[in-house]
Amino acid sequence: LAAPPSPPGQDPHGWRVPVDCVRANELCAAEPSCSSRYRTLRQCLAGRDRNTMLANKECQAALEVLQESPLYDCRCKRGMKKELQCLQIYWSIHLGLTEGEEFYEASPYEPVTSRLSDIFRLASIFSGMDPAANSKSNHCLDAAKACNLNDNCKRLRSGYISTCSREISASEHCSRRKCHKALRQFFDRVPSEYTYRLLFCSCKDQACAERRRQTIVPSCSYEDKEKPNCLDLRSTCRTDHLCRSRLADFHTNCQASFQTLTSCPGDNYQACLGSYAGLIGFDMTPNYVDASTTSITISPWCSCKGSGNMEEECEKFLRDFTENPCLRNAIQAFGNGTDVNLSP
Amino acid sequence: GAAFGLYFPRKEYLENVYIDEPAGTPLLRIHTLRDSHGEVAHFHLCQNLIISRARSHENNWFQIREKTGLLYLSKSLDREDFNMLSVGNWMPLSKVMLYVFLSSHPFQEKECDSATRTTVFLSLMNATAPACSSLTARQLCFTEMDLSFHIKENKPPGTFHQLQLPSIHHLCQNLSVSYKLLAAEGMPFRYNENTTGVSVTLRLDREERERYELIAKCTVREGFREMQVEVPFLVNVLDEDDSPPFLPNGTDTADAVVEFNRKEGTVLATLTVYDADTTPIYPLESSRKKYTGTIITDDPWMSETFRVEHIFDEIHFSPNGSQVRGTRHEYKLVLNKSISVTEHRSFQLDVLVNDTEFHGPERSVMLHFNVSILPVSIQFPNTTYQFTVNRNAERFAQIGKICIENCMKFRGVNITYKLLSPNTSCYAVSILQGREDKYGSLYVNDSSVLHRPECKEIQYTIQATDKQSRKHTKTLLTVVLEGTLLKKEEDCPDSCAVSKHHAECEECGGLGVLTGRCQWRQGSGKGITTNYSTCTPSIKTCPDGICDVIESKDPAVCPQDCTSGNIIGGHGKGIGNLGIKSGHGICYCFPRQNCYCEKDDIKEPLCDDVCKTVI
Repeated sequence: LAAPPSPPGQDPHGWRVPVDCVRANELCAAEPSCSSRYRTLRQCLAGRDRNTMLANKECQAALEVLQESPLYDCRCKRGMKKELQCLQIYWSIHLGLTEGEEFYEASPYEPVTSRLSDIFRLASIFSGMDPAANSKSNHCLDAAKACNLNDNCKRLRSGYISTCSREISASEHCSRRKCHKALRQFFDRVPSEYTYRLLFCSCKDQACAERRRQTIVPSCSYEDKEKPNCLDLRSTCRTDHLCRSRLADFHTNCQASFQTLTSCPGDNYQACLGSYAGLIGFDMTPNYVDASTTSITISPWCSCKGSGNMEEECEKFLRDFTENPCLRNAIQAFGNGTDVNLSP
Repeated sequence: GAAFGLYFPRKEYLENVYIDEPAGTPLLRIHTLRDSHGEVAHFHLCQNLIISRARSHENNWFQIREKTGLLYLSKSLDREDFNMLSVGNWMPLSKVMLYVFLSSHPFQEKECDSATRTTVFLSLMNATAPACSSLTARQLCFTEMDLSFHIKENKPPGTFHQLQLPSIHHLCQNLSVSYKLLAAEGMPFRYNENTTGVSVTLRLDREERERYELIAKCTVREGFREMQVEVPFLVNVLDEDDSPPFLPNGTDTADAVVEFNRKEGTVLATLTVYDADTTPIYPLESSRKKYTGTIITDDPWMSETFRVEHIFDEIHFSPNGSQVRGTRHEYKLVLNKSISVTEHRSFQLDVLVNDTEFHGPERSVMLHFNVSILPVSIQFPNTTYQFTVNRNAERFAQIGKICIENCMKFRGVNITYKLLSPNTSCYAVSILQGREDKYGSLYVNDSSVLHRPECKEIQYTIQATDKQSRKHTKTLLTVVLEGTLLKKEEDCPDSCAVSKHHAECEECGGLGVLTGRCQWRQGSGKGITTNYSTCTPSIKTCPDGICDVIESKDPAVCPQDCTSGNIIGGHGKGIGNLGIKSGHGICYCFPRQNCYCEKDDIKEPLCDDVCKTVI
């Protein structure tokens, strides 16, 4: 039995807190007019062409009624039970509302309210075992050690490493699909104080930076024979509800902003790092492009070659990874153990 | 609908809106460019505000002048409106979005579905309009959005942007804000000081230059104070299909020879066509349809047997120092099905390449492939085969390979090898062939026959058959048995791989051995290496990283190549998770159970020179 849903309330920041879509769907199902409209809308969207859908009076009416329902504002939580189902419900409404071809899509996930400092507090527990917190220590190696001392982290890390390094045949050197799945499990089920330390450790020499680059076993999970066009990769990602949601979440939380000190929306580093990690294990998997210690360059495995008249749009898309001050500041702040100071 | 050429030179516009700004406040100017002279632009707003890209609300506040493209406040936005529009916005900053539509004739119905539209983002500021003195020069001069525009090539000139911000101009009338366009000399752009408009003065040609980088400079004067801001001003030239295909170096002919490689999917020859236009690889299929390559033939055999594959990629041309993008199209002649070894003909195959969107007489080029299909003969090399087999060889010992002429070069030719029964009862050997293998492997099938003194020299006939044409050929195989039978050691395991030490390895035999004794491979002993130490029936075939057809007959023959069980100790697994690709120290295996790779601490030889003399 489902617990009675709590009404949408206010959080301390004065923003409305939405219900999750699975629960909103239950609420809608309990109400005959809502559930019949929702069914109609899903049939309308099955054809996938928004213009024909909007031309249909019945579809339009369904959409208008649903704007008043809890389904309208619903969101999902990362790693929640039935995450995929929740996202399916979210997009079944939102594909009808947006063009489905917008540059930035709003994130279907709830906003992240915790801060990096929460992780540092936990991270300091591990720092006790570091032989010396001197400048020579390899933070990425320390992160691996810390992971190996935790049963859950160790199990899931060796799980994805062995899956991603297993050779299938002479022509297929690993199963990318299985490797991605194992990586998603690692980043979904291991607490971020372990995963972020592996992913965003700060480095002073090349061996450390190479270890950081190798964290996700890029030869299997990242690199490919050919580099697709980034817009092509984006459209592949958008056909998958999970990938689409994670990308929208990345755009919402890591989009460089002029209005904040850190260049991050709401000065929230934690939210940006979380949505970056959320992209790993999907078509849009990002990684460090090299083992440079001085400059951090992140990119998905794509290029803007062959963009034709869409080159500007393609480069804008790619720059959100390669030249994003918010993402770069967030990674560096994590590495240095600094967060934005917030007045309570 | 009828295509018209009016278009927006940018995809998005951005402006701030403050609480309680009076009705009539101008917000921003939107410009269009034309396709042909005489076109007049009409602007129209979609009557929906889109909030946080999901929720929408009726637009009660914003309007656009149909002729000039000036977006303005038609009704003041008060705090109550602001609160209502902010609901559902997650971020502290509220943004609403609206679409501006464009038509070459006055709007009849206020339809919201014209294809030509641009997006306006309005940031709703949770404050009343700021005092001009509190604004920075950057805020007075430019919005946050990049000054980046696109202009289609081959279109008439026109004004495409106004540098002055209408909202600031309206708000801060006693401030002097002036602009300049730097680095514009020699470029086809002009700045009009009176209107602050920027126009393009010539028809642009993308194949000449596709990107212009200028600088917009703004000067703010307030009494005696003067502040300056510079921002990049970028213009990208959009491409249209206005170049015909051409052949690099005039090459339109290539030879395509079919001989040993006759398999479906084989690329026989490639010809290249260049085009100065760009071809987007996304979406791929539509670009393929725009640039076609068709085999010109009436012969059904030819159209069944060949196909043309088209791939293309971006290359750069340098017409006058600056780099512009173009396209290299490659047309590959590909076998659409495997061709029989008996087929023999030559002909020319023409492929018509068509740039379907280019409007001109030279829109196509003809490519020619000189195709020669040569027959190949199925025959053994002149000599007969003779192999010697040691009488101590054990079951699954690999004696040699049987191969027809050029067999290793064949692809798409399916040859099977068979041994026809000899006239004696000395059936010692058999032949086996892997699924994709081009050769047959001869091995000992019954080692007890080797022990029989009456079996000395056995004659077989080998037959090789081509599956498709049923063509076959035969040759003679002589197997000579040699050597004297050794006494079998007691307590030897049936697999060489079980032995862990050099001495015990060479004392015993095992499945697959050639001369009755296993062979020791001494590795380099450095870390985890492919050259690990191990005991094997034959160093030539085991371990070689491949679990071949004979080794896979019995797991005891070569577990080093074939094991799928656990490997304990430092190691790397082989292809498909089979076998030990690399190992640490000595690797040994118990067939059907585990393998172990470990450093041996007990140094061999156990008996040193002093010890020997004592004995």
